[in-house]
Amino acid sequence: MKLKAILGSACILFLTGSGLAVGAELSASMLADTCNGCHGPDGSSYGPASPTIAGTNKDYMLETMQAFRDGKRPSTVMQRIAKGYSDDELKLIAAYFAEKPFGRLVDQATDPALVAKGKEIYDNLCEDCHEKDGRSAEDYPALAGQMMPYIENELRDLISGTRNLENNEALSSKERNKKQRNLKELVDTHGEEGIAAVVNFFGSQK
Amino acid sequence: MTAINRRTFVQLAGASAFAGTLGLPHVARAAGGKVVIIGGGPGGATTARYLKIANPDIDVTLIEPNELYHTCFMSNEVLGGERTIEQIQVGYDGLKKLGVNVVHDFATGIDGGAKTVATKGGQSFAFDRCVVAPGIDFQYTHEGITEADAGNVPHAWKAGEQTVILRKQLEAMEDGGLVAIVAPADPFRCPPGPYERASLIAGYLKEHKPKSKVIIIDPKEKFAKQGLFVGAWKKLYGFETDNSLIEWLPFAKVGGISKVDAATREITTDFETFKPAVLNYIPQQTAGKIAIDAGLAGDKGWCPVDKQTFESKNVAGVHVIGDAAIATAMPKSGYSANSQGKVTAAAIAAMLAGKEPVAPSYVNTCYSIAGKDYGFSVAAVYRYNAEKDVIAGVEGAGGLTPGDASAEQFKREVGYAHSWYNNIRKDSWG
Repeated sequence: MKLKAILGSACILFLTGSGLAVGAELSASMLADTCNGCHGPDGSSYGPASPTIAGTNKDYMLETMQAFRDGKRPSTVMQRIAKGYSDDELKLIAAYFAEKPFGRLVDQATDPALVAKGKEIYDNLCEDCHEKDGRSAEDYPALAGQMMPYIENELRDLISGTRNLENNEALSSKERNKKQRNLKELVDTHGEEGIAAVVNFFGSQK
Repeated sequence: MTAINRRTFVQLAGASAFAGTLGLPHVARAAGGKVVIIGGGPGGATTARYLKIANPDIDVTLIEPNELYHTCFMSNEVLGGERTIEQIQVGYDGLKKLGVNVVHDFATGIDGGAKTVATKGGQSFAFDRCVVAPGIDFQYTHEGITEADAGNVPHAWKAGEQTVILRKQLEAMEDGGLVAIVAPADPFRCPPGPYERASLIAGYLKEHKPKSKVIIIDPKEKFAKQGLFVGAWKKLYGFETDNSLIEWLPFAKVGGISKVDAATREITTDFETFKPAVLNYIPQQTAGKIAIDAGLAGDKGWCPVDKQTFESKNVAGVHVIGDAAIATAMPKSGYSANSQGKVTAAAIAAMLAGKEPVAPSYVNTCYSIAGKDYGFSVAAVYRYNAEKDVIAGVEGAGGLTPGDASAEQFKREVGYAHSWYNNIRKDSWG
């Protein structure tokens, strides 16, 4: 662990106007710890809405922060914050949180009937990417036990196109098409209840 | 597992050479060094927690008079009736579990030479490094009111009993009564706080006492997040109409306050007299008393510090963080204190280990709630600017919620504000 933390540090030199090197190390934990105020200690959220960022695939997290920064993904506050970091800094932050366990710390109130319906929808429409009941974070973000208002916000933005998958260069066109087809099917077949069901299903995962 | 690479070897060798030549007085100290923290608010608590995370061998003592801390953040929701006073209480068990020695006493003096802290209870604590996070104290600058009047004219700018007094006065007030908030001049704790307070009181009045009104008597001509507050007030409280629940009275409109009668709550300004049923007088502020008594503050009552380590410019070995410190661009907020606590903990852990502190990174994210489903924020990422010796916002980053945000965005920010509250509590106190 310690070795990893040391290796995860980057050396950055600050140059003053006179060209004098002040010289100081920028560490992953120094950068990443500032996130905990909103996202919870070690990136695991106590809710109700701000997402857990611990245990996130580091490539996905880097892409997400870049997308916020470049305005390709909508946000409330995240664009303003992401603009404060360079790619190298974001890589350090992403690698740091990828090593932390995804804490499922809050018992979120769910409706058993919606959870059951959500499980059916999940098996049909979500499971291919968000494997293991949404616990897998290998290629895509983990959704099991994620904060329900956050899942709902993002789901609605994906459905409305406010969060436009066409802007997501990390996905192949095949992946984009499939996700859009499945989102459309969720709404066309199950409507509002379907959205609530999927949110309840992921929220119910401990 | 010990991993010694080239860099740590050089640092260890450098540290021992340094200690050998100068004979640093750390020979008999605890294995990881001793840190005494004064003040158990978000700054002090975060420093304690992150010191223990950085190195559990550091002996950390936290001196705080109260067994329960009341967070100032979200205390305006208590005034509005959205939250109970119990919901802004936090204890120290989380820090104790990490091995922090929590002492409920009042620090009365810091001896920078002897490196000891004295308390009201007659105790003395030795330190290698001391962190002072005392928050604010008040200066009553107007004739007719002193801190002794706070039972009748609450400031409610340190949360707890004061918050309860103000809430009870609002509950007891008859419909049609006037609520006056006297806002302080810059700089002060929580710059958007008086305006969030006016908003949430107006929300309470709208629902329960619609013939009433809240006025803000302000020595300033502008205030934090002004455009966003004004937008919210127009939308929610009829601002600038004849039936507005909120009226903002800056210096240009009513002049300065010449007198306050604490017994009758009458306020006289250059141009007008007000007789509010409830008066919330928020006084001018300085760093907490201990910081001033220990000689840590400058002329204006705030403490100059090294911007990278928060070590006092007046007393070596003593660090000052949070509201009490002069942190240039960082506002006096709970998030700033939390962020500065982490920077300070990392710097102290490095110094005690004989290493050079890493470059600091600081963040502030500050939410305000103006009413039901109506929240907004200001955020900034900061870096140290060596040329100007300031903590400066990263260019192009940070800023306010856009004024033309959708209703959905304002609603989401309330959810994220409440999450921020839960998470920063855990991040600070464990």
